[in-house]
Amino acid sequence: MKSIEDLERVKRETLEEIGLRDSSGSAKIVVGMGTCGIAAGARETMLALIDELKKRRQTNVTVSETGCIGLCVKEPIVEIQLPGAEKVVYGNVTPARARQLVTSHVINHQPVQELIINTGNEE
Amino acid sequence: MVDISLHLLDLLENTKNANATRVSVLIEDDPEEDTLRITVSDNGRGMSEQELKLAVDPFYSSSGKKTGLGLPMVIQAAEMAGGTVNIKSEVGRGTDVTVLFRRSHLDRQPMGDPAASIVAFLAGNPGIATEFEYRGPKGRYRFDSASEMTDEGGKPLGHLAFLWSAEEKLREGLAKAGFRPD
Repeated sequence: MKSIEDLERVKRETLEEIGLRDSSGSAKIVVGMGTCGIAAGARETMLALIDELKKRRQTNVTVSETGCIGLCVKEPIVEIQLPGAEKVVYGNVTPARARQLVTSHVINHQPVQELIINTGNEE
Repeated sequence: MVDISLHLLDLLENTKNANATRVSVLIEDDPEEDTLRITVSDNGRGMSEQELKLAVDPFYSSSGKKTGLGLPMVIQAAEMAGGTVNIKSEVGRGTDVTVLFRRSHLDRQPMGDPAASIVAFLAGNPGIATEFEYRGPKGRYRFDSASEMTDEGGKPLGHLAFLWSAEEKLREGLAKAGFRPD
């Protein structure tokens, strides 16, 4: 008989393995990490996203960064793209709002309308 | 920037823009000498003397479209705290930036959260081999991203699993070496 800890470990490893196999179909989260983003709190936003994904046991997600996109007043900026969906750009993403984006957009596929500043593929 | 660890992250982001593939960070926290020294070294494209002069100009950016405030802000923060910034760079070899603060200076910004800065950089730059060393009041702690990307059995960690593990190890290692947020 395995202990609860053993089962938790197996579950975690399996979820990670799935995440590795399916990286092409993973959700992508990009945080603006230019000087303006860093000064506005992008690092804390990034850490909140990473922590919330851990709490929710989400492994099939890529978290990355980009530089300044020219909307400094809207920093911290977060872009989320789900497989097969348009990129959605959010502005003024505080750590609390970042956690909300994980549960609402990434997990439940419900974009948070009031934080959207632009949707991708518009140009 | 409200703390020194944010300047550190900004310096790290510069290494990415210099196309570095290896980056090392050294934080030397010495209460006896009353110094706090941060060195960020990379093997990126480096800068000529002319580029180096421009890099410390707040109205110049190597990207040509932004303001380029990063280095001028860290210089200001160091000088306000009785410190200096020393930049050594060579085209084709890389750049070393050393920022020195007088530790007890009233205008020194708080150190902040260096572990968070390293994790944020690793998240966005998994392809850059990143070494981090902290020399603190209780000892040394070293972290090498290249050797932390697998589990104990040698199996590669996923992107997020690597970040979760890195954050845990960095926080634990820093605490053991005597790092305390101020």
